[in-house]
Amino acid sequence: MAANWFSAPAPVARRVRGYFAPVNRALQTPVIFDAAEQGGFNLDAPPAPWISLGWIHEFTRKTASKTSPVLTGIPAATLAQVRETLEAQVSFQFMSWTKLTMALATGSQHMNLLVEATGDLPAADGAQAVTAVTPLSGSTATAIVLASTDAAKFTAGSMIALDVDYTGQTGYVGAPVAGAYVRQPLTDVDYVRRVTFNVALVSQVNSTGLTLAEPLTGGAPAAGAKVQAITGFVDREGGSFYQEWSALFVMQGSQGERIFFYYPRLQTMAGAEEAAIPLDPKNNGGHARMVLKGQYLALPITDPLDGERVLCYRSFLPAANSLV
Amino acid sequence: MQNAKDSFYIALRTRLAAINPERTILLRGTVRPGILVEEAEAPFSQLPSDVFVLRWLGLGVDLDLSSTMAAEECEVLYQTCGTQSFGGLDRGRALSAMDEELAQMLVPFYTPKLNYTATPPTAMLTHVFWDEPGFGPIDVQRDRLSRSAKVMVYSYQEQGE
Repeated sequence: MAANWFSAPAPVARRVRGYFAPVNRALQTPVIFDAAEQGGFNLDAPPAPWISLGWIHEFTRKTASKTSPVLTGIPAATLAQVRETLEAQVSFQFMSWTKLTMALATGSQHMNLLVEATGDLPAADGAQAVTAVTPLSGSTATAIVLASTDAAKFTAGSMIALDVDYTGQTGYVGAPVAGAYVRQPLTDVDYVRRVTFNVALVSQVNSTGLTLAEPLTGGAPAAGAKVQAITGFVDREGGSFYQEWSALFVMQGSQGERIFFYYPRLQTMAGAEEAAIPLDPKNNGGHARMVLKGQYLALPITDPLDGERVLCYRSFLPAANSLV
Repeated sequence: MQNAKDSFYIALRTRLAAINPERTILLRGTVRPGILVEEAEAPFSQLPSDVFVLRWLGLGVDLDLSSTMAAEECEVLYQTCGTQSFGGLDRGRALSAMDEELAQMLVPFYTPKLNYTATPPTAMLTHVFWDEPGFGPIDVQRDRLSRSAKVMVYSYQEQGE
């Protein structure tokens, strides 16, 4: 069997697509992306646990690694080079505002605004919240089974956060995504649900529970998890927590080729910032799209293949039948 | 380049048949999806209403690549007077429906290149791809609303083309 071929010029791509997966902060374990095995995935349905964040804008990656010459002789000439520092940065803009994109584009922890108990004192990031309710057995990532009295506390179109009670633990909290690092015990029983990434929109409510419009990031509710309604999100300039995620950026070429930029560990390196993009470029004073800006520093991992410390993997899957 | 033009047209025709199967045209005794290539039909004294007409315009080539790239500009023209049952008062809605159909037809922005001179058509090695359409303003002539959209269609020349 023979195959024809063609000589493919440089890839032509329209946009860049971004996918993120949570780093296990406690174990410092990134999520692996294997381009050889997973590179052909449907861009709308990435392999678990990667989460699609849609198209991103102004994707720029920059190496800041420094190389120095080893000089020898008179006059000195470069005998060899050594890599002095290892650094890489990535920046881009998210085209949507969601829990995850906001969190990724903020420099610190990102919190859910829990629905507050009536008459409580105002607080910038949420006062005393209404009491959480407990899901019953049979709940899944998209259906929360509740007692009818509990289900009646929610309405279709509302949003929920689902996670365990805070019980005084320190360290990383939130599962499967660490939403914050607690340095000293707190008193807020709802703190984990304030920082959890396990949020969703309620599409339907009936006497047996809630149907969710999107699956929970953490899958089916874990033992001890409780549900609370939320009204939105809040983040702060300041704080000591750094978001850290595994990131994958994909450029799909016009001929079916794919370029992957896989960063095992990306940490935010700038505070929350937005950019205004006018909808009509000729009318700068008109409506503008507010996009979230993200700037990230790549952290190293040790490649088990050869023990080298690396920041990023660039993979290329050529178009079918193109000369390589 | 003809293979790219043919592939683009057939891709849009196939997609239109799925998006709105009721948009058809009786042409040369055959009912077909409501899209045609102007240069491949007998000259029209007036473009037919409620169908999409593809008109090929400019051409550019980039020879400084490992495979020559051609960029061909395609204008998609369409017009409507609305429906008789509403006395033409729905002509704005009818044109909006065609705007939406065209936007849907163009997604995804690529299609495999095929050689339609062979029977059955043979798959080639590359894809034809294009940019987002640039929609022009509505042109009003009495009760007829018309619009055109321009799309830049790109393709690589293959051996034997």
